[in-house]
Amino acid sequence: MNKHFSIAQKTGLMFRHDQDLPEDMNAWIQSQLQAASPALGVATSYAKVAQWPDELQPDLSRRASMWRRYRDLKKQQREGKNGQETQAARQANRHENLMRDMDEHKFVQRNVYGADQVKLRFTAFWANHFTIGNTFDTGQMIGHAIDEGILAKLNGSFADLLYGMTTHPGMLTYLDNVWSAGERSEQAKGCARKPNCQAGLNDNLGRELLELHTVSVAAGYTEDDIHAAANVLAGWGIDFGEELPQMRKTAGGTNHWNAYKKRWAEPGSKKVMGQSIYAGRNGLQQLTDFLASHDATIHHISTKLCQHFVSDNPSTYEVDAVKLVWRESKGDLQTIHTKVLELAINSPEVKFIWPMTWLFQVVRLSGATYFKGWEKVHDYDDRLMSTKKVFEELGQSFWSLRQPNGYSDDKDEWMSAEMFERRFRFADAIYRNGKPRQSANEIMDRIGASQQTRALVASVGPSGRDRFITLMCSPELMGLEYV
Amino acid sequence: MSKLTVGRRNILKAGAASLFLAGMPVTGFAKAKPPGSISVIILEGGMDGLAAMPPIGDPDLMRMRQSVTPDNYLALNDFFGLHPSLKFYAQLMASGHASAVHATAFPYTKRSHFEAQNLIEGGGLSPFSEKTGWLGRALDLSGVAGRSLSLDMPLILRGYHENDNFYPASIRGSKKPNANLLNMIAMGHHMDAAQLFTKVARKSEDNVQVPRDPASLAKYAGRAMAQVDGPVASVIRVGEFDSHSSQTEDGNTNEGRLARQLSVVDDVIAGYRRGLGEAWDDAIILTLTEFGRTVAVNGTKGTDHGYASVGLLAGGSLSNSGVITDWPGLSKKDQFEKRDLMATIDYRSVCAACIEKSLGLDHDLIAQQVFQQPDLPRMFDHLFT
Repeated sequence: MNKHFSIAQKTGLMFRHDQDLPEDMNAWIQSQLQAASPALGVATSYAKVAQWPDELQPDLSRRASMWRRYRDLKKQQREGKNGQETQAARQANRHENLMRDMDEHKFVQRNVYGADQVKLRFTAFWANHFTIGNTFDTGQMIGHAIDEGILAKLNGSFADLLYGMTTHPGMLTYLDNVWSAGERSEQAKGCARKPNCQAGLNDNLGRELLELHTVSVAAGYTEDDIHAAANVLAGWGIDFGEELPQMRKTAGGTNHWNAYKKRWAEPGSKKVMGQSIYAGRNGLQQLTDFLASHDATIHHISTKLCQHFVSDNPSTYEVDAVKLVWRESKGDLQTIHTKVLELAINSPEVKFIWPMTWLFQVVRLSGATYFKGWEKVHDYDDRLMSTKKVFEELGQSFWSLRQPNGYSDDKDEWMSAEMFERRFRFADAIYRNGKPRQSANEIMDRIGASQQTRALVASVGPSGRDRFITLMCSPELMGLEYV
Repeated sequence: MSKLTVGRRNILKAGAASLFLAGMPVTGFAKAKPPGSISVIILEGGMDGLAAMPPIGDPDLMRMRQSVTPDNYLALNDFFGLHPSLKFYAQLMASGHASAVHATAFPYTKRSHFEAQNLIEGGGLSPFSEKTGWLGRALDLSGVAGRSLSLDMPLILRGYHENDNFYPASIRGSKKPNANLLNMIAMGHHMDAAQLFTKVARKSEDNVQVPRDPASLAKYAGRAMAQVDGPVASVIRVGEFDSHSSQTEDGNTNEGRLARQLSVVDDVIAGYRRGLGEAWDDAIILTLTEFGRTVAVNGTKGTDHGYASVGLLAGGSLSNSGVITDWPGLSKKDQFEKRDLMATIDYRSVCAACIEKSLGLDHDLIAQQVFQQPDLPRMFDHLFT
């Protein structure tokens, strides 16, 4: 593959079939990280690429009010009231009030049409690092977390990203923190005196904050540290369906991204990994700042970045290079990402391409129209599957219910006959139903495909479909080694 | 537990070494087809063994976890009850085709899902030490294949090149893959990837329509294993056992998150039973979970990560039913680190016994080559006689 495309494959999503190639790739990389990132997409399949309309990108308070509305109508449906029990009313309720399908569709369109491909790859990396599994209620918030918690924060510091994602209502809901109460909190004490009332600590988020999001088990923290972290977190977050007057009463305001329930908070200072954390709302930021700059965090995430972008087994030199700029820049993400990109480009290693990323690359390279426009998200189309279904079948989606460690960077986790069958079938479906604008030959010429790839494609005969599938399932396009 | 004599172990070591030199799989028996089949149901998230099989006779149980103990449990004996979701499993117990091992775990106490999941599938001496899985290595030793009912190839089955997976696709606009084309694509790929495309080509001839719920997949797996040239092992994963909150419903300890997931497990076992047909007689099915949960209920009507849990076993190769345990007790002083059910039985011994029964491999060989723990106690007689 030529330089343009090998870089775009490893660090981006490939140049779209009709996109001009930059002359200076280094300048391009830099501009990618700094570029503004509007969500691009199309209103209908063959419409011009445009920015997503604002009304399809609601903020958190609007999402919460839609969620309350959804639950209210759902209740009426169960009670058989106001015609809500009809099939049509139920469907309208889902389409009008749930954001899950629209959000995933937006994410996919932006990955297909976006001009900010490198930034989108880092967005995917961090969305995976801060996994929010879809437990249905979190489905209303995942898209917001990706756009506002990650993409919008990529030019800031890791500490801000960490604090923002730890306090995002999607995360606080996914890892049960919205129901956790400090052991000696007012709420726990009050509950102890009442029958059928239960309130106490839930250590789910405290544990994953240490294990997955920051220092990792290699840091050697104890159960007491997890316990203390959970007590620092107690009080943060509120059920997304809570009525606003009640929310004002318990959390002192109606901002879901800053909801802190004093009555649920653990009084007194805590100690996490030797660091004293003071009581009260500010304790959490003190904790995330401490963890963000911890050596073990810097090592853990520098390694993970290298494994994702540079090499399956990054060298000490590579990891150290990222750690160095991390420390020097005090965790400035743009500086860290620039170093990771430099290492990725300089490493000759071919990186295996995730199924999700591969599908975006296939669609961009070929100019296929494989996804519906935003006006048609909920409409049946006998050619185009729903976006939700595509990624379910492919086996990778940020809107799936999965474990908090997210998708693996270990190639072995993706090596199975069924996974490979999906690549074949989707290449086939994209060819048949997506009507690619570029043939296998045109794509190979443009990307400077290797001799082996050309020979492989030539070996399957003249069928345009067979050649297209073979190219997309070739080692070169999947990020695998040759024979 | 049995102790090995030095002499016997030496003989086995020599046997394994010579076969290694011959480049042939080590088989512990003379027949071509192993004596039975082995299926593993992985319960992801850490299954609460104290709720699945509550020790009703333990005076501390109701004091510590009334809100997560089903009051409608089935009494197995004076000491143990069974969660009401496990209806089919209960029938099997009554007919002598199911057993349980309680207060058991892999030797891992740090309560991380991801380390523990890796360890229980890898079966090595520490998390992330293995690139292959214990069942994969056992199948490699036997030279017979297993199949996972999942989109991915789980770590537990890696280690034998003939192992395969199955998870039906439903993609609009794609026709049945063409075997010739797949074989040609395979030729352009390196080793493992080439092998995978070849497997896809081989499978493209079948036209199997199976719904993707775990019970239907189990039935399909049972049918496949019942065939003469079918796989002898299968793996199914059931998720969502990480019951940190709302483990039971408000005011109803028999329903809720855990009850739903245990019903899935029960359906999976029933699916296997139906699919296996006569092959049920030689089958063993066992559950595998990364850890149990805290003895005490947490503040959100759930339980947090713990240590020991229960292992459920089913299949015609069990000759009688029972709960095998060396019960540690639930009082604070009996708990592991004053919070978890203590493990008194190494679950690797249970897995080893199931391998020995189904694949006919010798225990010492399993201990050494599958679990890399030569002194792993043999539990076979407790389970199968």
